[in-house]
Amino acid sequence: MNEELILSLRGIEKSFGGVHALNGVDFELRRGEVHALLGENGAGKSTLIKILTGVHRPDTGEILLRGNPVTIADPIDARRRGIAAIYQELSLIDTLTVAENIFLGNEPVVTPLGVSRTRQLYADSEAFLKRFGIAISSHAVVGDLGLGQKRVIEIVKALAINAEILLLDEPTTGMSRAEIDTLFGIMASLKEKNVTMIYISHYLDEVFRCCDRATVFRDGRNVGRFQMAAATVPELVRAMIGHTVSGERYRPAQTADGAETVIEARWFQSAVMRHPVSFRVGRGEIVGFTGIVGAGKSELAGSLFGAHRKTGGELLLHGKPVRFRSPHDTRAYGMAYIPEDRKSQGLILSDSVEDNIVLPHIEQIENRLGLLISRKKRAIAQRMGERVRLQPPDVRMKAGNLSGGNQQKVVLGKWLTAEPDIILLDEPTRGIDIGAKAEIYRLMTQMADAGKTVLVFSSEMEELLSICDRILILCKGGIVGEKQVGDATVESLLTLALGADCDE
Amino acid sequence: MNNQTRTLGRKFMRFLRGELGLLLILLLLCVVFAYVSPYFMVERNLLNITRQVSIVLTVAMGMLCVILSGEIDLSVGSTAALCGVAAAWGMKTTGNIWLGIGLALGLGLLVGIINGTLVVYARIPSFIVTLATMGILRGVCMVWTNGKPISNLPESFSVLGAGYVLNIIPVATVVSLLLVAVFYVMLQRTKHGTYIKAIGANREAATLSAIHVDRYKVLVFVAAGLMCAIGGLITTSKLLSAQPTANVGLEMDVLSGVILGGASLSGGIGTVVGTLLGSLTIGVINNGLNLLNVSSYYQEIVKGIIIIFAVVIKRNKATQ
Repeated sequence: MNEELILSLRGIEKSFGGVHALNGVDFELRRGEVHALLGENGAGKSTLIKILTGVHRPDTGEILLRGNPVTIADPIDARRRGIAAIYQELSLIDTLTVAENIFLGNEPVVTPLGVSRTRQLYADSEAFLKRFGIAISSHAVVGDLGLGQKRVIEIVKALAINAEILLLDEPTTGMSRAEIDTLFGIMASLKEKNVTMIYISHYLDEVFRCCDRATVFRDGRNVGRFQMAAATVPELVRAMIGHTVSGERYRPAQTADGAETVIEARWFQSAVMRHPVSFRVGRGEIVGFTGIVGAGKSELAGSLFGAHRKTGGELLLHGKPVRFRSPHDTRAYGMAYIPEDRKSQGLILSDSVEDNIVLPHIEQIENRLGLLISRKKRAIAQRMGERVRLQPPDVRMKAGNLSGGNQQKVVLGKWLTAEPDIILLDEPTRGIDIGAKAEIYRLMTQMADAGKTVLVFSSEMEELLSICDRILILCKGGIVGEKQVGDATVESLLTLALGADCDE
Repeated sequence: MNNQTRTLGRKFMRFLRGELGLLLILLLLCVVFAYVSPYFMVERNLLNITRQVSIVLTVAMGMLCVILSGEIDLSVGSTAALCGVAAAWGMKTTGNIWLGIGLALGLGLLVGIINGTLVVYARIPSFIVTLATMGILRGVCMVWTNGKPISNLPESFSVLGAGYVLNIIPVATVVSLLLVAVFYVMLQRTKHGTYIKAIGANREAATLSAIHVDRYKVLVFVAAGLMCAIGGLITTSKLLSAQPTANVGLEMDVLSGVILGGASLSGGIGTVVGTLLGSLTIGVINNGLNLLNVSSYYQEIVKGIIIIFAVVIKRNKATQ
């Protein structure tokens, strides 16, 4: 690696409608290095990537590419200047071959009639793959390849148009261990060919394996630059979260020792879970499950609720093994599930608030002939609207017209109507305002105080610290730790969740 | 008292806003046909329209359920024809009208179960399943009858398709309106209707709301199959003969009626009243063009154009 700067950013600022996404970022990239960008969600990593690929223009600041100041007009301009981003979603066409994909829109030799010379195409493609030591046939149909191989082809496609700087955004998402190894191998051979890479990942173990340096972002600023060979996990984590947060608690922590066990998983696993999990939660407890994006929180929550096929182990409710074939079966056990995505999983946006609230308990508004009584429906919905403090308090409004926080209150109200004994909440406060958050915390503590069992799945660790009694940490699909809330800090949770210790 | 009349008034306004556009189109068509043909605005003819439309209307009730749940059934015409043939065959071989009717209903039920099972459990899109069964069932009709009609059915069977209540209202009209009432109550006033609409509007939210999505998806196809059986019985009764080529293109008229009625092909949206008005509109167009002696070649063209116009007008109304 040499000291030549291929790219440097000076004083980059960018705001969206008064919100500063980037607040004076200085960043430099040396030719031929693999440079990690680290930071929590919202720290400014994606905005920076979008500025480098020409999606956004900086408000102020300077971009120097190979020493010359440049303006990156749009993604096509970025590609022309040799900057290519490899996003999580692939841009390959499954029905075409590897060679056709690599040169799509950029066919090497074309006859006067616009027909590309097939033989030339495959020869060029083979040469390319060989140069970077990639063992994939040019004739393979992309749809038949694994995710890891596809991502490699995506990289080769970028290199085929002479990209010198590759932006890899969470490239290992969904990859198997072997595929990750292959990817890292190819990254190493690219490095030998002097290709420069920016690597974005939540997983510190990966960053330690493949990166030379790292820049940490927090609140739109670069707050630290590290040589990976000399850096430690605690150093990086501290830089990412900045200060130690002393969270205000919504409810004194309880210890559930001696409380009756309500829900217990014994080596429980479903079709969408990568590892079996074991845990138990007692009556009146609020237990948090945390982990970073992709750690398997939602998968676990949905599996407990019977939305996915069980493949192993046991789930016990009140000490008795149960088997759910669909969410319908959970009703008999007084279980409720607040899904992660309220718009696509929780609500029917085109229906009114009252219709949404009564949907799972429609029998409650039937008369003896099985006809629905709208007076009963309104009464139930209004009572629930008051309990969750719906704003505006009109249950006839379309759910789609409510704010995010109030939509979430409707989803909660929908399930509280059944007075569940066990309630699972998946990211219950994502994207909602502070007032609505407080309401939702209030409802959760209310339920726990009434002797219900509450399981919260959230990647917001401060939230869990402020409301839970106990927190279980998930990483790459398995439970890697458990903390009583009194012993836990954001730092200690994040360290476990980032996978520094969970290298399988 | 004052309050009560006000809520009643509000309900009426909501009804108008929902179906007003279609009602206006229907009335406009009636005015146009009454102006150009002296035979249109005659009591006999108007009642005749309701009889002609009864088959489309009956089958449209089943189709509405299927569409509300986010699926489609293209096999309705073939199913109706097959059930008609089955009824005629049953009556001929046993001499008992009721056995023939039972056979038709049973077959309709069976077709519904087959369509529903293939969609839900074999996970084949309903468009493909019913496109296939549309061909298969028509083929079964042909093989069963050797391509020839089954005629000379018991005279008393003609009551359903050609008889009158009080010497003036066609029996088929009464039967279809009764079915409309049943479906109105089922879809607007019971949990089954709510569930079917919820499944079509947001399948995942419905699943997580502890609704048996798969069971209801099969049920809507069963409803469609049964309604086809009744439609086929009316067709057969009208002619006292079962034609293996009966009800060809019925799916087009039924779908047109349901779509005109404001149902969304992506599911979740649609009403019984809208479908009733939509089917009547199709019936009025068919009848009016016949009275004007428009050749059947042109009829198809005119019908298609009117449907496109009606949907555009209705959508503009809705977005305003």
